[in-house]
Amino acid sequence: MGARSVTASPVKERPSWRLKPPHDQQTQGIVVSGFSWLPAGKALFLHCDGLETDAGRGLWLQTLMKVAPVTASDGKPEKRAAAIAFTWTGLQKAGLSPEVLATFAAPFREGMYQDDRLRRLGDKLKDKWQEPVIDGGPLWSGNIPAEDELRQVTTRTTVHALLLLYGETVADVQVWGEEVGLALAPHGMKIVHQLALDLQFDEAGIGREHFGFADGMSQPIPFGDPDVASEDTVVLSDGRPAPRDEWHGVPLGEILLGHTNAHAEKAPGPVVRDDKFARAAQLSPQGAPEGFLNLGLNGSYMVVRELRQYVARFWQSLEDNAARIRAHDPSATHVTADWLAERIVGRNIDGHLLSPSGLLAADEHKQPQNAFGFAELDPHGHGCPLGSHVRRANPRDGLARDYASAPALLDSVNNHRILRRGRKYGATATDRRTDDGAERGLLFICLNADIARQFEFIQQTWLLNKNFATLYDETDPLMGPKGRFTIPEQPLRRIVDVQTFIQLAGGEYFFLPSLPALRYLSSSRD
Amino acid sequence: MPQTILSVVLDVDPHSARHLSDLIEAFKRQQEEEGTETYGRLKDGVPSLHFLSMSVFQGAHYDPIFVIEANFDGPPAAFWGHVEATLADRLRPMLRCCKRPADNDGLAYDAVTKPDSRAPVVSYLQRRTLRPSVFHQGNRGLERDRILRERDLFLTIRDELAQASPTAPDPYRAIPAEQIHVRLRNAMLRLFPWLAEPAPPRISWIERAADSCRLLAFLFATFLCLSIPGMAVAPVTPAWRFAVLTAVLAGLVAIGLWSMHRARDGEGVPTRSGGLTPASLSVKNRLTSFAHPVTLVAGLLLVVALYVVVATVIGSVFTMLITGLSYPDSVWPTARVVLLGLASIAFTAPAIVLWLRWLERRDSSHDEPPVDNELLREMARREDWIAQNHMGSVVLVKPGVLRTILFRAGHLGLGLLLRAIATDGYLGSMRTVHFAHWAFINNGSRLMFFSNFDHSWGSYLDDFIEKAHGGLTLAWGSGVGFPPTRFLVLDGASHGRKFKAWARHSMAVSRFWFSAYRDLTVDQIERNTRIAEGLRKTTLNPQEATAWARDL
Repeated sequence: MGARSVTASPVKERPSWRLKPPHDQQTQGIVVSGFSWLPAGKALFLHCDGLETDAGRGLWLQTLMKVAPVTASDGKPEKRAAAIAFTWTGLQKAGLSPEVLATFAAPFREGMYQDDRLRRLGDKLKDKWQEPVIDGGPLWSGNIPAEDELRQVTTRTTVHALLLLYGETVADVQVWGEEVGLALAPHGMKIVHQLALDLQFDEAGIGREHFGFADGMSQPIPFGDPDVASEDTVVLSDGRPAPRDEWHGVPLGEILLGHTNAHAEKAPGPVVRDDKFARAAQLSPQGAPEGFLNLGLNGSYMVVRELRQYVARFWQSLEDNAARIRAHDPSATHVTADWLAERIVGRNIDGHLLSPSGLLAADEHKQPQNAFGFAELDPHGHGCPLGSHVRRANPRDGLARDYASAPALLDSVNNHRILRRGRKYGATATDRRTDDGAERGLLFICLNADIARQFEFIQQTWLLNKNFATLYDETDPLMGPKGRFTIPEQPLRRIVDVQTFIQLAGGEYFFLPSLPALRYLSSSRD
Repeated sequence: MPQTILSVVLDVDPHSARHLSDLIEAFKRQQEEEGTETYGRLKDGVPSLHFLSMSVFQGAHYDPIFVIEANFDGPPAAFWGHVEATLADRLRPMLRCCKRPADNDGLAYDAVTKPDSRAPVVSYLQRRTLRPSVFHQGNRGLERDRILRERDLFLTIRDELAQASPTAPDPYRAIPAEQIHVRLRNAMLRLFPWLAEPAPPRISWIERAADSCRLLAFLFATFLCLSIPGMAVAPVTPAWRFAVLTAVLAGLVAIGLWSMHRARDGEGVPTRSGGLTPASLSVKNRLTSFAHPVTLVAGLLLVVALYVVVATVIGSVFTMLITGLSYPDSVWPTARVVLLGLASIAFTAPAIVLWLRWLERRDSSHDEPPVDNELLREMARREDWIAQNHMGSVVLVKPGVLRTILFRAGHLGLGLLLRAIATDGYLGSMRTVHFAHWAFINNGSRLMFFSNFDHSWGSYLDDFIEKAHGGLTLAWGSGVGFPPTRFLVLDGASHGRKFKAWARHSMAVSRFWFSAYRDLTVDQIERNTRIAEGLRKTTLNPQEATAWARDL
């Protein structure tokens, strides 16, 4: 499950990975799987109006643990699953002291809407929200106070925690969500925003995002080191040791705090003073300095971005582009809206990679092939365009100048991977060319241990980099603002004008605690 | 055309440091004034300038320093003339914030800073100019005007190919690449007549030959220095005794090295790529590259043979003078000493490494350097506005005789090596550096680093960490507090997070920074040049044309 997309058929399973004890009991289930056997889901964005005197008493969390116990990664698939994560202001509300809050990573402490970060993420420039953000700016965030008041960005809604519920049916999740709301109300906790998440597979067993493409095809695969007792953390689902995957292997510390990461150190996370509360919650001293216990171990940082998708605009604009190209180049009969859309994504609608000699054949599990690099297969982007979404999101070895340096470039790219756990929300469009006015999109969720080196790097250096892969003045055709998109062809490339197809409606950086950390947060510590 | 990288480093009166920063900021505001082209005055006034920065470094150990870093075309004389004409009024008040130097330059300082002075400020700046110890130029040999001309060409071609009318047939479609080339050349020649002329060579053969000779001379000097102990003993020792002695000593050193070769607990960073290790040698590399083991061995043997010949020919003159033998009779005894000296490198080189390793194991590192949050915020606020970014850093240098010699020699060697091999616009796998340099300041007690690079600071440092950590550790590893190194080139910068924290804390806010081509990456500049070079040719064969058309 972990090695696989969240939106793929449970039928033809590739071998997946899981954590070894004791880490599996301490880690939230969402890390290891996307709960793909539970097609219905709900994202509840919680806001705490509770009294300041309640801070640090964890009463609401204790209640929540009863009505929606958070799923650990060690169990068998159940009929319901839950995950929870907190914003910085949420942890403040949960009563963590300024001393503890200061031990979290800077991007989490500053939030997604810190002034310089907004520029790097392409959301806001010179006080102006950019095109890939909804009019008037995002609707929700953690509303973390800015160091400089003049640069404060405030959203209408303040989110303190994100509760993700997963179930077998929409009705079940709906009922469950209402139960949660009722149970939390006496504690001053309100559900201030919610999204119904959906993971429906079609007849072919493919989960598709709203534009119609198979989603979540490629994920990093964590590994430990079976030869070192403290590093023996990851196994295959059948219990065999998990080798380092040649194309997608990342050290576990890239995803989970407290484990060895790509820089050969324990991924740093928050720590708390070694006291009776921390001990009662069974926080580990592993990796914490003397006198402290590790609040981060087996937790992670979770990036959440609510991305609205404009399906009719996407397909209509590609129809127009295709018609324009065919009008001035009658030989371009192959250029259709579907052809352009596949180039924008880099894979065909069912998830198979475009290559110079046609689609890349499926793997031995009849799944779209994912063990490939671009340096040998498609160095010039004649199959999968250099600036296509999949190539920008994970360039693999495709940025190598020559074949000899490809392994080094692949190693370097794998220092910037994220584990995606998003799901789509909103109803599937019935006619892709007609705007029905309904809101739909992707609740993008990813896990990483170093937000700056992983999520932000991908967004800034690859997706929205105007000079990615020796392209000029263009960004990701799917995620970026309207602009140019180059499709390499022999003998001459085509450049099409793409529109803004996706807009940010809200987002924030969250801390996904381990189960011991959650126990600590929900304990009365006064 | 050769390019120049230089910096001017001036001690600042601590009481005036704030005022100096304000003056620099005022200059920046003037250049960014609305209604004119941003930085247009500087761009027009100093036509050879690629990048220029002004920063004030504050530190706990020294009074502040004011650094002007300049990267430009051609020799410095013309550049300084333009600076005087364009910037003198701005620079003079800044110089008044600096200390009067205690050496012979004091009078020159007085002349340019006295009230109502009209004396040229550059006369003083020229005296205080530093040349780098190591430097790298991406896009080497491309002068600024050519870069800008070729960008105009690129943009015009993009418009030409873009089809003004949505329904008219596209003349560039359904024809092979050779015809696209001919058609585009005809269209562009009218607008860019310079396409009719051949491109000037980026690096002249004289420059290349000089670079190779300098590198060779450095290698010879290294051999000679390492041979000294052997050469001292050789005249009085029978060869077999010499061999046994060298072998025994080398064996002892090897045992010592083996016992210390591992990293201290928790300080080893095994890396799969990007290092200067035997593992980066591979038969997969091109045969023309020294990263191919066969080429490397052949190259080394050739250099050693050349050394033996040169050292013997020159050394025989000294033998002749000392012994009174004739020149022909001096040759063999000299050759014997040279050869035995070379053989003794089997002991001297590892012995030096052993000494170094002994020092490394006793080094302290600075895992969490203190950072000034306000300073960090100011740096972040100035980053990520255009295609490139800028960084300037000053660190203290570790003391000790061996460190100093190795560090200086390492810089000299690395600098000469980069000149000789990094001539294609790139720095190994790194394709993002426009102009970067290191320079020693303050009698070698501090090391300064400046870089003008593409993309974000984080991605630039990650590039170093992932692709060039070996060379970087060699160049920067003798900075005080650098993450733990092993054998001069291992670990070090591979401690990614610690290295980034260390680098960040050594930086100053780049208060003023000018780039002459704000939207161009190193990669794009090379792409534009390839397109222009193709268009300068009247015809291309089908293979050439196909490769050329990929860049359009």
